[in-house]
Amino acid sequence: MAKIIQHQLFYPHPPEVVWEFLTNQELITQWLMPGDLKPIPGHEFELRAKPMPEMDFDGIFYCKILEVVPFKKLSYSWKFGPGNGELSNSTVNWMLTEKDNGTELLLIHRDFADSVNPLMFNSMEKGWLVLINKMLQVINAEKDGTAQA
Amino acid sequence: MLSKDSSTINSLAENFDMSRPAVSKHIKVLYNAGFISIQDIGRERHCILKQDGFKELNEWLAYYDKFWGDKLDKLGALMNDKMNKK
Repeated sequence: MAKIIQHQLFYPHPPEVVWEFLTNQELITQWLMPGDLKPIPGHEFELRAKPMPEMDFDGIFYCKILEVVPFKKLSYSWKFGPGNGELSNSTVNWMLTEKDNGTELLLIHRDFADSVNPLMFNSMEKGWLVLINKMLQVINAEKDGTAQA
Repeated sequence: MLSKDSSTINSLAENFDMSRPAVSKHIKVLYNAGFISIQDIGRERHCILKQDGFKELNEWLAYYDKFWGDKLDKLGALMNDKMNKK
C-alpha cells in the first residue's frame, strides 16, 4: 500500500475563493473541523475532531504551517497520536491551479512516518535502518513463503 | 505451523553477510523496539514479526483516504452554497 493519499477535484470557483475556504478558519470549521489555522509560515495550530480510542487517537491534529504561496499552495504538518506525547508525522499539501473558469484542487497527504517507536528511528544511524529493513523483509518473505530458507 | 509465521535466527543469519552474534544483536534491537517477538520452539529460537505497527499505519491510510474524499465533497457543496447566495 502506497503511503500517500491523493485527491484531485475541480471546483467551479476561482482560486481566490477556494483559497479562502482553505485558509479562513471560520470557513474551515464548516467543511473540515474547528481549530485555529492561520496561513502564516511557522504558525502552529490544532484541528479538533472526535477522539477515536480504537485507533489510538486523542482527537487532536497538531499542525504547523510549512509553506504559503497565496492562491497556489499551502502545506502544513499533520501530527496525530493517542495523547501520551507520542505523535505520528505526516504532511498535508494543497495545490491550486486555475483551469476552465474554475480551480483544480490537488490534495496530497504524505510523509507518513510509522508510529512504531519513532524515537528509535531518530536515534539510529542510517546503516542500522538499512539492515533492519532488510531483516524485516526477510522475515516478511519467509512468512509469505517466498524465501529460500 | 508456527514455523510458517516465523524464522529461526539461524535461517535469518544465512540471509546476511554477518556473523551469527551480529545478527543476534540486531534481532535484540528489533525485539526491544517491539517489531518482533521471540519464541522458543523445540530447540530453536524463532523470531515472529509483529504486524501491529504496520497494520496501524495502513488503517490510518485507509481512514484518511475516505476522510479527505468526504471532506472535499463537503467543501464543494459549501462553496456552491455560499457563492450562489452572494
